[in-house]
Amino acid sequence: MNTSRAAGDGLAHTLDALAVGRRARVHAISGDSHVRRRLLEMGMCKGTGVEVVRRAPFGDPIELRVRGYALSLRAEQAALVLVTPEG
Amino acid sequence: MSPAARVAATPAPRLVAALVGNPNAGKTTIFNALTGLRQKVGNYPGVTVDRRAGEMRLPGGDVAEIIDLPGTYSLVTVSLDEQVVSEVLRGTRRDARPQAGDDVTRPQAIIAVVDASNLARNLFLVSQLLDLRLPTVIALNMVDVAEEHGRPVDAAALAEAMGCAVIPVVGNRREGIDQLGAALVRATPSPPIAFPIAREMLDEESRLAAILGDDGPSARRLLAVEPGADLDALRARFEGDIEAARDRLQAQGIDPAQEDIEARYRWIDGVVAKAVHEPEHRRRTTTDRVDAVLMHRFFGLVVFALIMTALFTCVFWLAKPMMDAVKDGVAMLGTKVGASMAEGPLRALVVDGIFAGVGAVLVFVPQIALLFLFLAALEDSGYLARAAFLMDRVLSKIGLNGKSFIPLLSSFACAIPGILATRTIEGRRDRLATILVAPFMTCSARLPVYALLVGALIPNATAWQQALVLFALYAAGILAAVITSLLLSRRLDRAHRSSFILELPTYKRPQVSQVLWQVWTNTRAFVTRAGTTILALSIVLWALLYYPRLPAEQLARHPTAEAQQAAQTEHSFAGRAGHALEPAVRPLGYDWKMGVGLVSAFAAREVFVSTLGITYSVGNTSEDTKDLAQAMASDRRPDGSRVWTPLVAVSLMLWFVLAMQCISTMAVVRRETGSWKWPLAQLAFMNGVAYVVCLIVYQIGRRFFGG
Repeated sequence: MNTSRAAGDGLAHTLDALAVGRRARVHAISGDSHVRRRLLEMGMCKGTGVEVVRRAPFGDPIELRVRGYALSLRAEQAALVLVTPEG
Repeated sequence: MSPAARVAATPAPRLVAALVGNPNAGKTTIFNALTGLRQKVGNYPGVTVDRRAGEMRLPGGDVAEIIDLPGTYSLVTVSLDEQVVSEVLRGTRRDARPQAGDDVTRPQAIIAVVDASNLARNLFLVSQLLDLRLPTVIALNMVDVAEEHGRPVDAAALAEAMGCAVIPVVGNRREGIDQLGAALVRATPSPPIAFPIAREMLDEESRLAAILGDDGPSARRLLAVEPGADLDALRARFEGDIEAARDRLQAQGIDPAQEDIEARYRWIDGVVAKAVHEPEHRRRTTTDRVDAVLMHRFFGLVVFALIMTALFTCVFWLAKPMMDAVKDGVAMLGTKVGASMAEGPLRALVVDGIFAGVGAVLVFVPQIALLFLFLAALEDSGYLARAAFLMDRVLSKIGLNGKSFIPLLSSFACAIPGILATRTIEGRRDRLATILVAPFMTCSARLPVYALLVGALIPNATAWQQALVLFALYAAGILAAVITSLLLSRRLDRAHRSSFILELPTYKRPQVSQVLWQVWTNTRAFVTRAGTTILALSIVLWALLYYPRLPAEQLARHPTAEAQQAAQTEHSFAGRAGHALEPAVRPLGYDWKMGVGLVSAFAAREVFVSTLGITYSVGNTSEDTKDLAQAMASDRRPDGSRVWTPLVAVSLMLWFVLAMQCISTMAVVRRETGSWKWPLAQLAFMNGVAYVVCLIVYQIGRRFFGG
């Protein structure tokens, strides 16, 4: 997985590596069926736009804006989401 | 009664409708508006999910029964709550123990509560509800919030796109409630929706449907490996066909579960485009502005600390006078009733058994009610989710979850409301870990014991010294919880991984009726669940201290009434148990009197103090312990040395920090975890650790300090 490259080069990243304020589109979700299913049900489908709103005081979890609402994930779960950064 | 007989006994068949919706969609407000106060709370048999039902008057005079189902994001089960929703709606809940009021009827219609300000995500559940082909009405809630956000929802367009009635409602102002009833009466079964599913999957679906001989949604649900008792028979029979179809789809890069969800969202995107006019730029909302402070990296933590400190001190400080009043009131009533009765076992049972037991229960009620008052207000406002967000990092380090914070905080008042509050933790692993460490938090029942023991540790302690000791005891409890949780997570992680996926709802003004309702149901749960255990134990304990009676001629040898009572106590079953226990607790520094106290503390920890009062023949002093402290200080062993050395006090304090002594907590843990395995493991672990720690501390301490 491409986690180390800096965001903005148009390649896929995991969501946990995205900086606060950045937007991206969901590309794919890995992980066990349980967490994957829940993330999909919460609206994180392929192509859905997500924005990193903030990180918690100790850096984890992160708050996202997905489909107009606020969803928080641990970095561990965000690392399962492969995204394509935008703008 | 057989099901047939029950149907026959019901006067007229009436409409049963289920109220379904996402968490935070405002479902409870709508339920209250629909049913008023005509509602009752029960429990789904076998699981600890509350079942709320109420009556609603329909236009035309009929009455419908409304079942309020737990908030859920999906009908495909993850948590216990979701399982109940899915099973009730599919009519597959198997009722193991049918009782009156507990019967689970399959609803004939659905009221889907939808948050207009979060339309797409809310419509996902609705897309699954429509698959059930029941008459469905959408209650479109929070239209005002959607407008404030600059994304107003066109209800007529939404109804057109969804194929069912959409009624805008404002629950707390009762707007739209009558229209909702009218729409419910008119509603017809929802037509099937053609979600834009990949061609390949549709082909596999129709092929499988032909094999199954079922053209409903079963084929798709089987392909997507949805759990569900209603599918088990088909799954078992056609396992080979299902697996083959899944393999073919996977080979083409299609995961059926993912395709099902994404197709629903593609459909939803189309619906939302018709019903919502999206603004060019997202408007900054009130929630954004509030979160800029409350979720700030630094100020967020400051405000969090302030809120929690305020909550905690308020609960203790406001409850204190009420608790004193309850204690005095029950004691006074007991004495009054006792005075009107003849001397004898019956009077002793009423005064020292029943009234003491009722007092022991009711004394906690003000504190617990206040705790739930603050928690319900915080929850209703939307702040609790933020608290979980802020605390998750710290708690996940020790194997817990951000959502464990509030249950653990509540446990500082009493572990029972704390354990009941763990229901908001979805993951079974994190919920169990929280339940298992909650009793280490210093509950208020330990405080009278600590106050007494501080006197034995430091005679004439200053307020500062007392505070310091108390702080150390709180810290010791937290430390024990942290270590236990770390040990536990090694074991638990093998079975379940912990995860944290949490919606942060928009802020709302807490509604008084909603908050009070929460206080009422939770306090009632405490009184019925813990109260009955405490009362029963209190009566048993009374009997153990009262019987067998000392013969009158032996009693007469003791000059005062107090001395007679002390002799009687030593002679009683509890006294004998204390003596029998002495060899086991002697290595920890305890004598038989403390042994009796420890036995009695199983009813509730603070009973330790009043039992010592009886054994030290200073009478039943629960309020003023000065006489008791004096009697303890002057108590000597046969060799003339002091019984209550500072080291003994430390050892006893550690016992109270570490040991599981509260049978009502165990009863609640059993209820919440569904088996005796966990409370018994907790009992063995906590008391084992307590014994070893107290043994080491006392034995090593004795080498250094003597005594």
